[in-house]
Amino acid sequence: MNYDGLTDATTAGALDLAWLAAQLEPVSEYGARVFEKIEPFARGREAAAQASARRIAHAAEQIDDALADAVRDVLRRVPDIAAARARARMGDVLDDAAFVELLRFCDACTQLTALVAGASALEWKTADGIDDLRAVLERGRAGQNGFYLDERFDARLADTRVAARTAQASYDAARRRLAERVAGALSREGLEDEFIVMRADLIGGLPAGVRAIREAPTYLLCALELDEPALEALRIRDVATQAVAIAEAEVRAALSLEVRTRCPALDEAAIRCGHLDVLVAQARFARRFSCVPAEIVADGVVEVRDARFLPLEERLLLEGRTYAPIAAELDGVCVLTGPNMGGKSVALQTCGAIAAYAALGLPVPAASARVALFERIAWLGIGSDAELGGVLSSFAKEVVRLRDVLARASERTLALVDEFARTTTPQEGRALLIATIERLRAAGACAFVATHLAGVAGAARARHYTVRGLRDSPQPAADGDLEGALASLARSMDYTLIEVAGDEVGAADAIALAALLGLDREFIQSAYVHLKERPWIR
Amino acid sequence: MDVGGALLDLALGGDSPGIAVVGTGKNVGKTVAVRAILGAAQRRKLSTGLASIGRDGEAVDAADGRPKPRFFLRAGTTFATARGALPSSPAVELLRVTEMPTSAGVLVIARVREPGYFEIVGPPTASGIRVTLANLRALGARLTILDGAVDRVAAIAGDDRAIVVATGAASGATIDDVATQARAMVERLATPAFDPLRPFVKIDGALTPGAAAEAIARDERRQIVVRDPSQIAIFGRAFLGLAPRLTVRCERPLRVVATTVASIGGDRYLDPVALARAVAQATGLPTFDVYASARAAA
Repeated sequence: MNYDGLTDATTAGALDLAWLAAQLEPVSEYGARVFEKIEPFARGREAAAQASARRIAHAAEQIDDALADAVRDVLRRVPDIAAARARARMGDVLDDAAFVELLRFCDACTQLTALVAGASALEWKTADGIDDLRAVLERGRAGQNGFYLDERFDARLADTRVAARTAQASYDAARRRLAERVAGALSREGLEDEFIVMRADLIGGLPAGVRAIREAPTYLLCALELDEPALEALRIRDVATQAVAIAEAEVRAALSLEVRTRCPALDEAAIRCGHLDVLVAQARFARRFSCVPAEIVADGVVEVRDARFLPLEERLLLEGRTYAPIAAELDGVCVLTGPNMGGKSVALQTCGAIAAYAALGLPVPAASARVALFERIAWLGIGSDAELGGVLSSFAKEVVRLRDVLARASERTLALVDEFARTTTPQEGRALLIATIERLRAAGACAFVATHLAGVAGAARARHYTVRGLRDSPQPAADGDLEGALASLARSMDYTLIEVAGDEVGAADAIALAALLGLDREFIQSAYVHLKERPWIR
Repeated sequence: MDVGGALLDLALGGDSPGIAVVGTGKNVGKTVAVRAILGAAQRRKLSTGLASIGRDGEAVDAADGRPKPRFFLRAGTTFATARGALPSSPAVELLRVTEMPTSAGVLVIARVREPGYFEIVGPPTASGIRVTLANLRALGARLTILDGAVDRVAAIAGDDRAIVVATGAASGATIDDVATQARAMVERLATPAFDPLRPFVKIDGALTPGAAAEAIARDERRQIVVRDPSQIAIFGRAFLGLAPRLTVRCERPLRVVATTVASIGGDRYLDPVALARAVAQATGLPTFDVYASARAAA
């Protein structure tokens, strides 16, 4: 799955698209080849993106986890026949291992046909010619997963093998007679292929039928010297063995031709396996995370209801916590304010991820969604400066990234701006942020701008969302229990986004949250005293 | 005498799943010993599986170019080799095409249908060997024979497989050298299992000369425990010097049952009778000369 054109590494990291890729990863080589070619749908292909998501959702309705697992299990074990197909197409003679692979591939196609018979949405059909090839190779089936160049392929194989066995037996007998005679002459029970004869034991030289192959001062390394009958038996055996080799080669050539004539069917079946693998993974994903097809529209909007950011939802579920879905309507540039730890960044991630999923033709994790096909999704702000190392300060890194984002901003850009300019003074940060919004609006981009700075939405004449915030005071957990504090905060926080008029900005609740997270009472009291000083108000 | 049969009897004395032949070096008659055992198993009509560690059984040694014997396998023998090492004829019954890589393509498990000469190529890793041996047994081999490399014996540690140590003229300039090398290897491989009721200290990874020297310096009296004897990275005379000063033990012991000797190795010749006797005395194990069809008197 290639989302490089849609996002850069920073944005892909912020939206955790690697998590998405892992969820959708196919299990077979065939699937991997299809998967790597998946790219975002470009502007103008809204109908195709919509159709893709609907196709996946339809498949998700027809398969359950057991069926998905069964299909993936077959696909996981299906051998890769790419090399066999290529060799057959070139006219090469295939080896027996290739026939094993092809037979197993044909078996897998048959198993898949049986498995998905009731799931028309998976669009599976065995390619014409696969059953024929299976019938041809079936004659060599040995056990469940084995293959042997059996006599059933050609009666001449049987004849040559019988002759070779007979010839081998004759040679063995001739050699055994020799060996027994030599062993007797050397007073031994038996002889290996090579054997030592001590010089001291020799009287009048080596016995007949023995030749020295290496000589040492005190002994000779010897082997049997074949006599005329044994040599003749050996000659006959070699001829018979050669005849077997020729017969086997002819059978392999004939089988390879059978494969060659069915290469188009194998190509088609391989492609279908790949598409099935990818579709099952996508349907499994959609089913597991209750995703629905978004309405893909030409306007540059992101409108979501009960939308979730799946990587976070999954982590929270693992920790036994629940995820609070959000609703938002982004049309043009919108500002998002709210308390610390109120989910502003997650709201941006949710909108960005849903736009990315829709662009990739996937159903989205929301109750409903209307989304445009963005050509570029750009993350700016917290976490976006990681790839810019060197001597740049945090502020400089942010500005450099802003420069790059603005340079490419267009009406098909979704910009997600997370507390930009937080590292400079509030006054100048606010000014920079308003200028950023104006530039994005001028480019026609859709943007969601999260900030703690007051007066931004009004000054920039932008729609303003805020997080509802704390319903009540979260109870500090005992003894600095961070997990307990977070759970308490989650119970007290209302993560709902509401649209507000003008510049109405709620409290950041930063000091209350600092208390919740374990800072001591004296420190907190001091902070509240200083809060009342308001030295910047002159 | 039937040396292969005698080795087979020693190996099958326990509830052994098979035999591994390991050498003290190259050209010490390891493959010849395997061939003798294989021949005996075939004569007794035992359902046999043959595997190798790394590349072996090829006509020419890949490392030094010297000629090496291939294996003549009879019908019914199961073996593991690389896909690229299978002969085009005689055809074999391919039982399993694995995804395990070897130096000559993926590993396949095959059964001989028509007798012939076969090259045996094995997986290079201990885990690959364990899987291969399990595959051979699952596919019907009652006895598995492993043409092994001593640095991969971890693969067979703890499974009661009998080990035959092959040594020969190629591993020492004199009979005394060869016997000493053989004794060191046998004692190292035969490192006893540790006694959990007595004090011990476990070593993560290999026991190196440096670690052993430190233990001696601090007068370590506890058992020094390695996972298996292949984790003792101290060889030859150095190991023999260490043995009386440290109590080295292992978690997964090996069962060394015999040694074989090859009096010809490379360009070197040693007296076969004296060599076999010296190795038998040094190791205290039954010692056989496959070439001479003889067992040495210790």
